[in-house]
Amino acid sequence: MDYFNQFKQRYLIEFWRPLPAVIALGVLATYYFGIMGTYWAVTGEFTRWGGHFLKFIGVDISHLGYFDIVKMDGNSLTRIDGVMVIGMFAGCIAAAFWGNNVKLRMPASNIRIFQALIGGIIAGFGARLGMGCNLASLFTGIPQFSLHAWLFTLAMIVGVYLGARVTALPFFQSKFKLQKVSKSRELPYDAKRIKRLFVFGSVVFIAMVLWALYLIFIANTPKLGIAMLFGIAFGLLIAKAQICFTSAFRDVFTTGRSQMAIAIILGMAVSTIGVFSYIILGQPPKVMWAGPNAVIGGMLFGFGIVLAGGCECGWMYRAVEGQVHFWLVGVGNVIGATLLAFVWDYFSVSIATSWPKINLLESLGNYGGLFANYVFLFLLFVLILKLEKNYRNKLQSKGA
Amino acid sequence: MPKDTIVPTYRLDMQGEPCPYPAVKTLEAMESLKPGEILEIISDCPQSINNIPQDAENHGYKVLSIDSSGPTIQYLIQK
Repeated sequence: MDYFNQFKQRYLIEFWRPLPAVIALGVLATYYFGIMGTYWAVTGEFTRWGGHFLKFIGVDISHLGYFDIVKMDGNSLTRIDGVMVIGMFAGCIAAAFWGNNVKLRMPASNIRIFQALIGGIIAGFGARLGMGCNLASLFTGIPQFSLHAWLFTLAMIVGVYLGARVTALPFFQSKFKLQKVSKSRELPYDAKRIKRLFVFGSVVFIAMVLWALYLIFIANTPKLGIAMLFGIAFGLLIAKAQICFTSAFRDVFTTGRSQMAIAIILGMAVSTIGVFSYIILGQPPKVMWAGPNAVIGGMLFGFGIVLAGGCECGWMYRAVEGQVHFWLVGVGNVIGATLLAFVWDYFSVSIATSWPKINLLESLGNYGGLFANYVFLFLLFVLILKLEKNYRNKLQSKGA
Repeated sequence: MPKDTIVPTYRLDMQGEPCPYPAVKTLEAMESLKPGEILEIISDCPQSINNIPQDAENHGYKVLSIDSSGPTIQYLIQK
């Protein structure tokens, strides 16, 4: 029993350390690609939700080309992305409820409500314009040697910088004041509630695993079941370690912290060699157009996620923790992605589909592409260190 | 250090604010403290667990205690 309690405290209740979690995500994303033949991504599915909603309210989407690209086949229960996202939500719920981390958190001001919704829309629009959010670009696009992902990522960092500048304006600052105190606060503690939450988290977790096993062994749809299991693991990891891609790059500018950005680069480095091995064994990589859409989309996405305070996977775990702010971000993401689908046909040829799909492994040869990717990752690493140093220099000159 | 023996000088109650504002505001507030004074930060942004302690240490402050046993997290940081 003691062993179980120790395990429960350390692995189910407490937060996990972010660095190993990000590397685990890199490894899992690689295996996901190997087994599923597709990449770990969420925004495509959000776009399909938007499509289903439009159909439901009677809008004819058959003439919208973007829905052909994301493929509206079936529904959330019959698509790999669909069941993966359901699994992810279950993983997030288990993490939050096990860890006594559920609380209805209302936005502190109307400015934040505006930020969540508008930022969410901009990020959702940008992500789909660039053919996928940070997951598709950072964790799957770059390790898949698609040049578009590099364009998206670099533009995203510029967008994140602009977003960090804008959200640092006095208008967006917290209005909270320092209080003089003489005693630290007693935090509320309700053992019964903690237990109830824990049981609920366990029920959701077990039910989802059983559902996945059913899909694999009884319904004879093993791919769907495996995708769901992957989703649970992805959800647990991002929620338990509080992985936030937005903060990873934003906080290099806002508070000079680079630990997460570097963790993500390491995760990408791990994923790159793994994906490479699958590709040389014959798994076709997913390569997208290296056009202006990736650059513009990346910038909008970077700006939007900082304004909103979270990206397309970050809102998922925060929403189930009861952060109302991120319910709005999620809604904004779906609206933004759907808007993009509406206007896509007006400019898709000129800024996206007429541009070449550049696969670094074809342009530079297998090993040339592999090494080019590692050189680029190293340069990205150096860039992050340089930005962190800039912050420290500024801090020192301010103090002097 | 057990947290009930720590006596904070100021409190910053940031409940409801999403990240990065709790971390940004913490650093701002720490600047106004005198050396030795202690700030208590109350934040219900779970992600602050990955930013407030690290930012405080990076800026040369001492993290005395973190209580993340519930959805509302308490940090005690000394200048």
